[in-house]
Amino acid sequence: MGLQRGLKGLWRLNQRTSQWRAVWAIKEALRVAYPFILVMTIIDFVGQSFLAGSGFFFQIYHVGTWLPGLETWRELFQAVSTVVNGVVAVMIAFITGHYLARTYRSDAIAVGVMSALAFLTLNVNYQALGQTDRGGDQLTQFVEGNLGPQGIFLAIVVGLTVGWAGSRLMQALRKLQLRHPKWQLSWTGRVAWPLALVLLITTGLGYGLSWVSAGGLNGLVYQGLSALVTNPGHRGLMILGVTALNNILWWLGLIGPVSLAGNSSVTSLQNLAYAVQHGSGWGAPNPITLHTLGDAYANFGGAGMTLALIIAIWIGSRQTSYRRVANQTFLPNLVNLNEPTLLGLPLLFNPILLIPFVLAPAVNIVVAWFALTWKLVPPIVYPVPRTTPGPLIAYLGTGGDWRALVLSVICLILSVLIYLPFVRLLNDQGGDRDAA
Amino acid sequence: MRRNWWRWLLLMVMIAVIFVPSVAWMHRRVAKYKTVYRTPLNPTILIPGSSASQNRFDELITELRKETKVVHSVLKVKVAENGQLSYTGSIRKGDNQPFIVIAFDNNHDGYSNINKQAAWLNIAFKDLVKTYHFNHFSALGHSNGGLIWTLFLEKYFAQTSRVDIDRLMTIATPYNMESASTTKRTDMLNELVKYREKLPAKLTVYSVAGTENYSSDGTVPANSVNQGKYVFQNHVAHYTQITVTGDQTTHSDLPQNKQIVLLIRQYLLQESIPAKDRAKQTVNRRALNGDPDLP
Repeated sequence: MGLQRGLKGLWRLNQRTSQWRAVWAIKEALRVAYPFILVMTIIDFVGQSFLAGSGFFFQIYHVGTWLPGLETWRELFQAVSTVVNGVVAVMIAFITGHYLARTYRSDAIAVGVMSALAFLTLNVNYQALGQTDRGGDQLTQFVEGNLGPQGIFLAIVVGLTVGWAGSRLMQALRKLQLRHPKWQLSWTGRVAWPLALVLLITTGLGYGLSWVSAGGLNGLVYQGLSALVTNPGHRGLMILGVTALNNILWWLGLIGPVSLAGNSSVTSLQNLAYAVQHGSGWGAPNPITLHTLGDAYANFGGAGMTLALIIAIWIGSRQTSYRRVANQTFLPNLVNLNEPTLLGLPLLFNPILLIPFVLAPAVNIVVAWFALTWKLVPPIVYPVPRTTPGPLIAYLGTGGDWRALVLSVICLILSVLIYLPFVRLLNDQGGDRDAA
Repeated sequence: MRRNWWRWLLLMVMIAVIFVPSVAWMHRRVAKYKTVYRTPLNPTILIPGSSASQNRFDELITELRKETKVVHSVLKVKVAENGQLSYTGSIRKGDNQPFIVIAFDNNHDGYSNINKQAAWLNIAFKDLVKTYHFNHFSALGHSNGGLIWTLFLEKYFAQTSRVDIDRLMTIATPYNMESASTTKRTDMLNELVKYREKLPAKLTVYSVAGTENYSSDGTVPANSVNQGKYVFQNHVAHYTQITVTGDQTTHSDLPQNKQIVLLIRQYLLQESIPAKDRAKQTVNRRALNGDPDLP
């Protein structure tokens, strides 16, 4: 069987890569970051879906009419969410550097801090440096968006680079010391010199990039991707390609270039205007868009149909850690917040799960494309909240067309079936480091 | 087996707790969209006065295009006596504030003719709504065009449900026909007053008069324009009367009068006019029951 041989090959690849120290360091970093992200996401779950005015549960349960002190609640949840959300990437830079330094038997804490600082220097808001305190609108000292989940990829890269370079530099200094016993260097010196060198390089890099893009290195990557991704037009293949690329980027930790934001695009507004006058979405002017395909049928739980992954784990996984992560992250996944699932399993940098993560949404888009072109379902036309449970998006977005609900259920089942063999494959992995 | 039973129960509860209220929410939302949703497409429909063709407003539109940042497209509709429509021009895709000019093959003056033209307007209007899917618009009528609009709003507009009119501006519209009398009402004014209850309650009306001397613009008596208050005042949301004097105030010059172009931009198209342009305005404005929030 070709399929079986393929899976076996994939398994071997997984085993080999997990022995690389970089991969090990990344996995450790994600493992340590997971509980923090989980707490943050559960707070966001309440904040975004129950308290925010655009939240799904806020709207269906009319929270605004019966919850006393709504503004206070919002501010409290906002405060906590900002704190954790704001520094998650810095944390990951620290932990990645820390664990990589451990493999080199170097001073792990010092190297970790070095990585975190290096990551921060890349995200200093260089435009804000020149400003003196004149009051009024002050720019923030850091490019804050980059320190949250969307900075995870850069944090991992910086953590690995600085972890390696810092460890090597410190080792070199120690060797130098052994060779020249007279030339004594204290522990402080052994940390300070590599730190100075690393910061010099990253500051130079960050400053240079600030001339190119206001958002630092991260901003540059996101700008490029968003330009590519925001306007895939009407063509089915283009939409398919953009979604696949987007999912690969999520897998790498580049979270968020495409999100459920298609509600307000021109094509969606045209569809809405049409539906308002005709009473339904049948015959709407733009039936095939990223919004009507991807957002409606290929985004349950967030990028990569992670809601299907959770169900597949419930059905087929014998790994305790996987089952725990699935249970813990089910609620956030219900409202399309899947960062903790990606970090907790971890799905990020996991070669086995990459395949269904890209394949499941792609298959759903193709199925939805056929259903829409053959006029089996109407396109979604009414805006739905970002936190609407995935399988309900199409039903509510079409104004309650049962065929759209059936198609959603079919898409969910298909995705579970796609995830299932890969989840079973991971059953054989040694469960020595249980995540949760 | 017992564990499975619990899972099914949990699933059922979740469906009940999430699905049922969300369906109720959806029905409310869809109903709300159908009543309060305003399409981005928001055309301005213009009707010329008697004896004028669908090209009557070309000069005005050129003038408007010159001064506005966004270039708007123009669609012209001509209604034949048998109700047949002929279109020229088009609405550019993505242009949300196009101009639509509606003219009539039989464009003669007179009480019965103007009534016929209102019926023809109804045919053209229904076709426009069906083709372009807008659900609100603004209207401009020059001279008798204002009478056609008013008759249409009173007698036919209710047939097109789900479409709202935001603003109507009439320029030198003789609500009492050629009569300069302030006491004697013509048949036209009698009819307009008789059906005024049917006017859309949320409508904002601007009636612009031009005067060369103290009594008329050369064709329409100022008193006839003034009679509009008996039609609109207290029957629409806001009724504002504006009198323009100075150069270019003969009846046929009014649609391209610099002051009136500014008024159209400011009130009908609701542009924010730069301060330097606003300073040029030297109109004598008289708000009767205007909105204090309006500029």
